[in-house]
Formats: sequence, C-alpha cells, structure tokens
Amino acid sequence: MRIVIAEDLLLLRDGLIRLLTDTGHTVVAAVDNAPELEQAVLEHRPELSIVDVRLPPGFRDEGLRAALSVRKRDPKAPILILSQYVERTYAAELLADGNGAIGYLLKDRVTALDDFLDAIERVAAGGTAMDPEVVRQLFARNNRDQGITTLTAREREVLACVAQGLSNSAICAELVLAPASVEKHITNILTKLDLPPADDTHRRVRAVLAYLNH
Amino acid sequence: MISRAARALAHLLAAVVLGPATFMWALFTTLASGLLSFTYLGPPAFLAATWVSRRIAHLERWRAGGLLGTAIPDPYESSARRNPWVRGRAVAREPATWRDLAWLMLLFPLGIAGGAVGVLVAVVDLATIVAPVWLWAVPNPHLPPVVDTLFNTVAGRFGLTVLGVLLAPPVFWLVRTLAKMQAEIAVRFLGEGPRQRLAQRAAELTLTRRRVIDAQAAELQRIERDLHDGAQARIVAAGMTLALAERKLRNGGPQVDPAREDVRTARRQLDDALAELRRLVRGIYPPILTDRGLAAALAALAGDAPLTVVIRADDIGELAPAVESGAYFVVAETLANAIKHAEASECLIDVIRRPDGFLRLEIRDDGRGGADPSGSGLEGLRRRVEALDGKMTITSPPGGPTTVHAEFPCAS
Repeated sequence: MRIVIAEDLLLLRDGLIRLLTDTGHTVVAAVDNAPELEQAVLEHRPELSIVDVRLPPGFRDEGLRAALSVRKRDPKAPILILSQYVERTYAAELLADGNGAIGYLLKDRVTALDDFLDAIERVAAGGTAMDPEVVRQLFARNNRDQGITTLTAREREVLACVAQGLSNSAICAELVLAPASVEKHITNILTKLDLPPADDTHRRVRAVLAYLNH
Repeated sequence: MISRAARALAHLLAAVVLGPATFMWALFTTLASGLLSFTYLGPPAFLAATWVSRRIAHLERWRAGGLLGTAIPDPYESSARRNPWVRGRAVAREPATWRDLAWLMLLFPLGIAGGAVGVLVAVVDLATIVAPVWLWAVPNPHLPPVVDTLFNTVAGRFGLTVLGVLLAPPVFWLVRTLAKMQAEIAVRFLGEGPRQRLAQRAAELTLTRRRVIDAQAAELQRIERDLHDGAQARIVAAGMTLALAERKLRNGGPQVDPAREDVRTARRQLDDALAELRRLVRGIYPPILTDRGLAAALAALAGDAPLTVVIRADDIGELAPAVESGAYFVVAETLANAIKHAEASECLIDVIRRPDGFLRLEIRDDGRGGADPSGSGLEGLRRRVEALDGKMTITSPPGGPTTVHAEFPCAS
C-alpha cells in the first residue's frame, strides 16, 4: 500500500516508516508539518495518509485541520489520524462527512501490530477504525440513552466492536463467539436502537456512530 | 556650601511668605466647605477647593523634594467617577485631602519660626562679615569699651569680619538643619500615608501573584508538551520496536517461543505506562485546552456528558492559560458532581467575559441539590479558584437546583 505519513517527531516518524516498510507497505512521503501534508497528498494520491493531530507550525490541531481540508478537496481520500490523546469531538468532526475511509486511533494502538495493520487495511478499503477509547467516551455519554440501556452486557460488547469498525469475522475473533451468534447480537442491537438492518459493515458502523454521536 | 546654604535660606524665606497665605486658604476652605456641607453644593464646592489645595500641596511637595533631593509622588487615589457629587464625597473621605490641609495650616507657624531663627541668624552673620563696609555709616557713640573698639575702629571692624567668617559654618549648619526639618515635616504630611502604602503594596502583590499564576500555568502547559513530545513519544517508539520484534520472533519458528511471550508482556506494560501518562496529562493540563482553547474544551466536556448541557460562551476571546484551565476544571468537576450526585438531566453553563475584566461562570443543574460546599471535591475546587484570585459560591438547597458561580480576574 502506498502511504503518506505526517508526524513531526523524528523518532515516531522513523518508527512508523520502519514498521510499515517491514510489513510490506511503501511510504511514498513522510512530512513533518501540516502544509506539506496537503501538498504531499495532492502530489502522490496515496492509498492512505497517516496523520498526527498536533503538527507544526502551531502545535495545536493542525494535523486534524489539514486532514479535514484534504477530505474537503478529495472526499474519498483515506485518512488515519494518530494522536497521543483522543477526543470525541475530533472523532465527530472526522466522521461528519459520512464518507467512511476514516480512522482515529491512539498512537499506542500501533504497537498491537496485527490490529493496527488490520485497521490500516480497513480504512484504505473505505471502512472505519475508531479507537476503543473514543468508543468508551461515546458510551459514557450515552449511558442514560433509552436504547442503550435495554442492551445486554454481551450486546454492549458487540456494539463497542461494531463502533470501532470491526467486521463480523473480526468481532468473532475478538469476543470468541460463533459467527451465527454475532449476527444474532447485531440484529438485536439494530432493532433495539431502531437502526435499519445493513449487511454492509461500512454502512452499519456509520449508522451506529451517528447514533452514538447524535 | 554657599549655594546649598543659599537654597536652604531661600526655602525658609519662601515658607515665611507662603505660610500666611496657605494658612488663610486652608482656614477659608475648611470653614466654607464646613458651612456648605449642609447644602446641596457641598461636595462640588469641596471638590473645587481641593483641586486648588492639591495644586498648592503639589508646589509644597516640589519645594520639599527639591531640598531633600528626592521626588515626592502625589499620594492621591485616582477616581474614574465623573459625577462631581460622588467625587466630592470620595475626595472628602480620602486621608490625603486632610493631611494636605493640615500641612497648609502648619506651614504658617513653622514658616514663621524657621524664618525667625534661620533668617535672623543668617542676616546677622552676613552683616558681621561685611561690617567694614557699612558700620562707618552708623555712628554708635555710647558703647561699652570692647564693643566700641570693634565697632568704631577700622581694625575692629575687620576683626568683626573675621568673627563672622568663623561663625559662618555653624550658622550655615543651623539654616540647613532648620530648612531640612521643615521639609521633612512636610513630607510626613504630604507624602504617602499608611493607607496609600497598603494600597500600593496590595497592587504590587496582586501583580506579582498574577505573574506567579501565569508562570505556573505556562509551566504546566510546557510539561504537557514535553510529555507529549518526550516521554510519550519515546514509549510509543519503544512499543513499535517491540511490536516488530514480536513479529520477527513469530516468523522465526517455534524454538524462540519463550522470548516471544516476554516481548508481548513488555509491550503490554508499555501500553499501561502510556495510559497512565495520558491520565496524568489530562489532570495537569487538558490537551484540548492547548489545542483549541476554553470554548471548544467546554463544548467537548458537554458533548461527553450523559445529560443535556447547554453552553453559552460567546466572545470570550483569548484568555490566560491559568484562567482557561481554572474555568475548565470548575466546569468539569461541577458536571461530574451533577451526574454522580445530583442525578441531573439538564445543565446550563454561562461563560461571560465582563467588561470590568472578570470571567464569570454560572453552572446550574436541575438535580436534587443538597451538595455539601465543604466537601472535599468542592473545597478543593474553591481553593483552586481562590489561588487565581477568583471567587466561587455554591448554592445547593435540598431538592435542588444546584448553582455554582465562579469569577476569575482576567484583565489582559
């Protein structure tokens, strides 16, 4: 996969390049500030951009803003935001266009290499990868929601996986469940939350995140 | 020495001339405003009279300061009020006004006394020194023998000159001491009184305290950034290396399995360290405050809360980091309480930056109230607010609602 990286800290930029190269990907450009990111994406048209939230020149949320501006120009450009901390607000801004191909993960997740590589593939393929921490924040916010309170503990676990953007088979592996029971749980969840049934993982996660984010 | 003595003498002479005039003025103002104080015209008349008195006092300060070699600042409190009645009353309450008048009266007796002694002694000494020039013109036929020799012979008159020159240093000393004493007494009355000194000290302390607070907030922000770019980044980098190692061990075959487990454990420990650091950073200085400022950070807090939160925080503009984090933690803690203890379903947050340089927070919920303001959480919050020179009040009657007010000075 052809990837553009925007990360200002040399240590992490090099680490990411090594990690991605070792796992068979190609880093076509690695930049350390927001304006160059926009340029690099325009120039290379990568299959994925991995962007740090805090970038020069301001060291505030330039990376996030640059990512949003890239998406405005090219609504389908796959972007994975990496950050030292996650904010539900930022997740909502990233998901707002409803186009998918978006990821928002804590930098720590990179070290769970298989999950991280899986998330990369998912985002590049137009899916979603939400950090479990974001999902936790979403749940905390909705803990008095009429629909959510009717879910069983197991259904909440499944819902958390769905919100992270996992596919059915990934949920099976994660929760050690049979494919049939995962499907049953998901049907129950969608009914209880009054969401339309969807076979397509991408549309399903978008509906769930929209529900939690409303 | 001669010029200094001449200045001291001029000072004493001026006091002789000014004394009666200032005395009359002070007496007149006091009597006139005393009489007018029973009428509607009292405050403005007093204000006008004080204006003149202050000009005279200013002249006196200049005279005394010139002699003592130090500038004596005006001790008056500044007043922004325009209304002459309000201002007149404020001026009448000011100690400096009355201390001025006291000096203007005292200048009369002190001036006469200083002048009588100092000027007389100086003139006599000068006259003695220049005796050969004028004594011949004043015939003194009936003098005792020794004085007669001194006064009526040329040699005697030059003897008087020598005597005068010898006496000159003590006379100069006396004149200077008298002038200095006068000026020092003037400073006592016209300089800063205890009230001004306290007010000035308070202003200084307020300023230095704000600097300390700002410095502390800047330091916390720096620590947040340092952790972000330093410790956190290094741990992530180490985690990446371990992740790659784990992958290589996995691909290496079954014989390296024991090491793989250790690598995996190390990676998990690093994850825990990062989670711990993240929690710590959030408590030190929430990253979203650094990234987006108070309004956005509050909106994020509101969005994460499982109840309806309405925030009104328009036009609060740029704020000092200390105020931003102070306001943030007040809202965060109050919201947490509203959720945990008050079982509120709605919360209203008003953030207003008032034109008088205060940031005002009002947080009102519809919960069941009964919060204990001396409880550890709220007490800690209050201490945090007070450290910023702010105020916090909590009203929480049983049955609700709970309202928290907080105010921070935020003059830029």
